Amino acid sequence: MLKSVSARADAVGTFRHVSVWLMETVARWTPSTPEMEAKVMFGRHIWDYAQMADALGKRTFELRRHEHYTAPPSAGYDAVLKDASAARATGDRISALYDGILPGLIARYRDYIAGTDKILDEPTIVIAERIVRELERQRAEASDLKAELKLASGSGPLLAAREKAVRSMLAEAG
Amino acid sequence: MSDEIGYFQVGNVTLRAEPARDACFTVVYRDAEMHEYDDASDTARRENLHRHMTNEITSLEIAAACLYEFPDAPWELRLELARQCWDESRHVRVLHRRLLEVGGYKGEFPIGTLEWNVTCALDSLIGRLTTQNRTLEAGAMDVVGILARNVRASGDDETADVLEGILADEVQHVRFANRWIKRLVAEDRRQLMKVAHAVRFLMEANSKFQIKDGGELNVIGVQLASPEARIPAVNVEDRKLAEFTDEEIHEILRQAGFRTLVPNPVPA
Repeated sequence: MLKSVSARADAVGTFRHVSVWLMETVARWTPSTPEMEAKVMFGRHIWDYAQMADALGKRTFELRRHEHYTAPPSAGYDAVLKDASAARATGDRISALYDGILPGLIARYRDYIAGTDKILDEPTIVIAERIVRELERQRAEASDLKAELKLASGSGPLLAAREKAVRSMLAEAG
Repeated sequence: MSDEIGYFQVGNVTLRAEPARDACFTVVYRDAEMHEYDDASDTARRENLHRHMTNEITSLEIAAACLYEFPDAPWELRLELARQCWDESRHVRVLHRRLLEVGGYKGEFPIGTLEWNVTCALDSLIGRLTTQNRTLEAGAMDVVGILARNVRASGDDETADVLEGILADEVQHVRFANRWIKRLVAEDRRQLMKVAHAVRFLMEANSKFQIKDGGELNVIGVQLASPEARIPAVNVEDRKLAEFTDEEIHEILRQAGFRTLVPNPVPA
């Protein structure tokens, strides 16, 4: 599935785009979300996403693109991201991101790991496995926060279904 | 710029509207409206922790806003700001933990958001680094340095440990801003105009809210000194670590009446 260096670079660059989007989205929500506990969680996750983007951006250079090469995702995937970022209430925001976007993103990282050469592309696999662990930790933290603040369930499951229906996040695949 | 949080006018100064806050908080604008005590009571200690905790929320929000409102900033600078977000969020957590330990709670006292109102009204990243990191956080290094020492002298080692841990992080926030301001100015001399504008803007905005000359009573009846008498002793040791030049430190000392915080002795 990911036979060429170029194909791997495009995938890693797209994952980097999503990491930067996550960082910017959560950063934008931080001042406009009232609850202190949610701001505190976002603060930690902003740094997580920045480190993910940084590691992916360094990997694109190793894959013969410029450092921090970033590829926009497919239109279908981008539309789902845009809808998630439009959430306003705290419960909707937490649900849209951690129940709506992250499960599918974790699955896409796992697909990448399964579909690439285990030896040739091991440096990307190491990064992707670390990111999966971090995203799963974030989902657990978000779940705890929802319980602590008694937040409404929000539109996450609906967004997750839409995300799943997008066949590929890569731009040329649609 | 984000359209989520607007602006408001105070005289001839346009400030950023408040960031969102839990309903339990009462936001005020002037130092005289804060519950600043002049004693070492338990209430004063709780108010101090509460004030620092909520200032850290504001610092987190400012760093976050710099990330999303300046997407074209150099990636290495964005990384520093992202790391600052994590640091400030940990500061909120640790101060909240300590506040609860001493019997306080979120929303117990009025809070301010003026650092956000002023800094996030500026439309340049170098201007925001100048006001928030290089000026206000550097000033906080002075305040926290003194406070940690006073708190320890009063026997509250737990709070002193928390404050000293926070101070170590703040040095890095000031240092990276100093480095980036110098780098951005070296790359484009016009950036210096934005630095100068930010300094003037901060002074003008501050003048709208600060204690009146001659001092005034705050809302709980404590006499507050004139603004110039409230300038804390300079934390020279940490300002050096944050890479202020000797000339800059001399100027800051001059403004503080050459009052310095004597460095801690280095353990043998």
